[in-house]
Amino acid sequence: MINFDNVGYTYDRKTYVLDDVNLDIGEGQFVCILGGNGSGKSTLAKQINALLTPDRGTVTVLDHDTEDPKNTYFVRSNAGMVFQNPDDQLVATLVEDDVAFGPENLGIPTPQIRDRVTESLKMVGLSGYEKHETHALSGGQKQRVAIAGALAMHPRILIFDEASAMLDPAGRKSLQKICKKLNGEGYTIVMITHFMEEATLADEILVMQNGKIVTSGSPQTIFAHPDKIEHLDLDTPFAATLCHELQDRHIPIRMHVKARDTQEEIVHLFANIYGSLPHVNDKKIQGYSARYMKAITQARLEQEKLRPQPKSNAGATVEVQHLSYTYDPLSKKQKRTISKDTEGISWALHDLSFILPAGEFLGIAGHTGSGKSTLLQMLNGLLQPTIGQVFINGHNMSDKQQASQTREKVGLVFQYPEKQLFAATVAEDVAFGPKNLGCTDAEIEQRTNRALELVGLDPAEVRDKNPFTLSGGQQRRVAFAGVLAMRPSTLVLDEPCAGLDPKNHQAFLDLIAHLHDELKITVIMVSHSMDDLAQTCDRLLVLDDGEIVAYDTPEKVFRNGDALREIGLDQPQPQKMAESLARAGIPLPMDKLYDMQTLVDSLVGAYIHAHHQQKPGPGQQAGGSHQVSDSNDVKGASK
Amino acid sequence: MNTDALFGRYWDTKSPIHSLDPRGKLIALLVITIALLTAGNYAVLGLEAVLIAVLYALSHVPVQQAFRSIAPLSFIVIMTAIFNILFIQGGTVYASWGIFVISQGGIESAIFLSIRLTLMLFIACLLTLTTTSMDITSAFESLLSPLSHFGVPTHEISEVMGMTLRFIPQVVEEWRDIRAAQMSRGAELSTRGNGRKLSSFFIPLFTSAFRHAETLSLAMDARCYHGNQGRTRLHPLIFTRKDTVSLILVALDLVACVVLNIVF
Repeated sequence: MINFDNVGYTYDRKTYVLDDVNLDIGEGQFVCILGGNGSGKSTLAKQINALLTPDRGTVTVLDHDTEDPKNTYFVRSNAGMVFQNPDDQLVATLVEDDVAFGPENLGIPTPQIRDRVTESLKMVGLSGYEKHETHALSGGQKQRVAIAGALAMHPRILIFDEASAMLDPAGRKSLQKICKKLNGEGYTIVMITHFMEEATLADEILVMQNGKIVTSGSPQTIFAHPDKIEHLDLDTPFAATLCHELQDRHIPIRMHVKARDTQEEIVHLFANIYGSLPHVNDKKIQGYSARYMKAITQARLEQEKLRPQPKSNAGATVEVQHLSYTYDPLSKKQKRTISKDTEGISWALHDLSFILPAGEFLGIAGHTGSGKSTLLQMLNGLLQPTIGQVFINGHNMSDKQQASQTREKVGLVFQYPEKQLFAATVAEDVAFGPKNLGCTDAEIEQRTNRALELVGLDPAEVRDKNPFTLSGGQQRRVAFAGVLAMRPSTLVLDEPCAGLDPKNHQAFLDLIAHLHDELKITVIMVSHSMDDLAQTCDRLLVLDDGEIVAYDTPEKVFRNGDALREIGLDQPQPQKMAESLARAGIPLPMDKLYDMQTLVDSLVGAYIHAHHQQKPGPGQQAGGSHQVSDSNDVKGASK
Repeated sequence: MNTDALFGRYWDTKSPIHSLDPRGKLIALLVITIALLTAGNYAVLGLEAVLIAVLYALSHVPVQQAFRSIAPLSFIVIMTAIFNILFIQGGTVYASWGIFVISQGGIESAIFLSIRLTLMLFIACLLTLTTTSMDITSAFESLLSPLSHFGVPTHEISEVMGMTLRFIPQVVEEWRDIRAAQMSRGAELSTRGNGRKLSSFFIPLFTSAFRHAETLSLAMDARCYHGNQGRTRLHPLIFTRKDTVSLILVALDLVACVVLNIVF
C-alpha cells in the first residue's frame, strides 16, 4: 500500500534527512515510527502524503507515484494527516466548516459534504459539536476534529505526526482509543510518537536514526532487548522494563510490552507455585475516596495554620492563604462584597491555603483546567488573587509593588519556554534578565556563563550561536538558563518536559533534580506525568476544580489510586502494577510507594519465598540453580 | 482564558438574522454605515438607532453580549469625543487652557459623533455576532468576484481574511503568555520601552506567528487545498426572496435618511 524505494531527501542539498529508506506498509497495518528528535520521522511522514517528494528513489502510495503532480491530490486525499499542534491545523472557526474543508477542496457536491461531516464527527465521538467554535475546544477535542477533517476526505491511510505530544493523559488516551478503533475498521495507521506506551499498540515498529530505518519489528521484538535500543534515544515501555528486570533476577517470565499482559504473566507465575492465590480484601489496598481525601487534607491544613509560623525570616518559604481567583470580570460592587458573597462566580481557584518549607521540591498535579497554571502565575505575582494572599520569602505577592520587587526571586519557566527566545545570540538572550535587573557588565557576564553551565551547556561553545539554530532540547536549555540567570530562590516550572523525546525527557528531569540539590532552591513543578512526580518530589499538591484535594508526600498521596482516578489522574506505573498484583493475591506488602526497584525487589522476594514454601527441597541451592536455568531457557526462547 | 468578549465572536441563536445571506448582510452593513456617516441631524441618528434596535431584537442576541463585544472598542468613541470637546469651537465658551477650549459647539459635536460612532460599532458588531467568519469571507469573495476578471486575487484575499479572524483568539492568548514570561524576567512593557525590551515581546510573537503560518499551510496542503478552482462549499451562498426583501427595506431606510437630512 505504501512503498518507499531507496528514498533520499535533503532540505539543504548537503545532509540527507532521509537516507536510503526502504519500507513496505500493507493495507490495514498499524505502524509506529519511533526515533529521537531530528531523526527524520516527520520528514518520512510528509513523504507519505506528498507534502514532500523524494530527491532520490520513489514513493508510491496505493500504486500512485507521489512525484507525479497528477497524483498529488489522489495521494493526499487517501493519506490523511494529523499534525502535532492542535491549534495550527484547524482552518475554520466552526467545527463543521473545518471538517468540511477537505471535501470542499475536493469538489464534493454540497449534500454529500454534509453527510461526510456528520459521519466523520460521529466516528471520532464528536456528534453534536458541528456548531462549536474550534478555539474553545480542549486539546484532545481539537485533535479529534483534525482526525474528522482527514476522515471526511475518505482516506484509506491516516498519518499521525506526534499528534498526542501536546495532549494531557486523558486526551492522549482518547486519541489512542480512536486510532485503535479506526485500525479495526480497516484504516491503515502510521503513527509517529515519543510515547513508548503508544508504540505498543502497533503491529510493527520502525525505528529511525539519522534518516535511516535502523531496526524494525513487532513491539515484542523491538523492546525485547533494551540494551540494544538504548543508543537509539528510545525508552522501553514500563511493562517491558519490568519483565526485563525480573528476567535479570532469574524470574522465569516471558517478555511482554503491555501492562496487562505482564500483570497476567506474573499472576500466572505465582498461581502455578501456590496452586491458587488467596482472595484479597480490596479495602486494604483501595485507599481513600477523592471526597474523603479532600476533607481530611483540608482539615489538616486548617489545623496547621493555627500553629504559629516563623514569618519573614524563614528563607524561601511559599505561603498561600485563602487564595481564590476568578477570571470573571467583576463589577465594583462585587469586588467589595466578594469575600462574603460568592454566589454565581466561577472560581479558577477557590480557597487555597498551604505552606511550603524552604528548599523543598513541590509537585503539582491536576487534570487540565484544574487551576495549576493560574496558581503558578499567582506565585510569581503576574496575577493578583481575587481574595487571599501569597507570600514568598515573607513578601506579599498580592501587593503589586512588592510583587514586582520580589518577582526576580521567583523564576518562572513556562510551558515550551523556547517559544520566548528572541535575541540574536544565546548569550544575549540569557543576559536579558540580569540586564533588566541593572547588573554590571561583569556581573551579567558571570551570571550568563554560570547559568549556561548549570543547564549543561558549554558557554564558550554556544554563547555566540543563534538560539534558533539549536536543536529543540538545547533551545529549551537556553530558555531555562535565561530564568536561572535571574538567580531565583524559588524555581517554578510548568510542564518542563512536554514534547521532548524520551532521552531528553529524562535528561531534563535529572537537570531539575540536580538544580534543586546543587542550588538548594525551592522547586515547584507542574506535571501530567505521575511517574515524573513520584521520581522527583518531596511533596505533592493535588488540585481538582480549583480546590486542594491532597497536600502530602508522594508516598501518601499516590497510595490512593481510586481517588486519583476519580479526578482524572492516576498512579505512578510501578505502584499501579503493585496494587493490581496485590489485588490478584500476590503477597506484596502495601505499606510503601513502589518504584521500579522496590517492585522488582519485592516480587523477587515474594517469588523466592513462595518457592521455598511450596517446594521445601533438599536445599536452596538446587532451587536457585533451577531458577537460573529456567530464566536462561526463557531468554533463549525470546531470542 | 476569557476571550468571550472579543469583537468578532459569533453568537449562535438561529434567528432570522442569522439565516440571511451574508452578502445581503454585508451590503446592508455598508448601506447603514453610509447612512450614519452622512447623517446631518438627530432625526437620522434616531431612525438608524430604532432600526438597529429592531435588528438586535430580531437577532435574539442578548443585549449584554452586544455591549460586551463593543466594550473593548469604546476607547475609540471616548477618544473622538475628547478631541471634539477640546478642538472644536463654537457658541458659548465654558473654559479654556491655552489652545484647548471647551465650548458649546465642541460638546454638541462630541455628543453627536459619539452617538454616530457607537451606532456604527453596534451595527458592525451585529454582523460578526450573527455571521460566522467563514460566511463573511465567502460573502466578501463573492462580492469582490467581478474584480477577479481584472486579475485581482479575490479568493486569496478573502481566504487571508478568514484565517486572520480564525487566529485572533490564539494570537491574543500567545501574547498573554509571552508578556507574562518576559515580565517574569524583569521586563516591563510600560517602562521606557527601549528597543531591546520591545523586541523581547515582539520577536517571539512574530516567530510564533511564522511557525503557525508554516504548519497551517502544510495542514491546508495536506487537505488538498489548491485555491478556488473546483471548490465546493458546505454552505453555498443562496440569495432568497427574504434576502431581497431585507435589502429593499434597507434601501428604503437609506431613502428615508436622505429625506430626513434634507427636511430637517
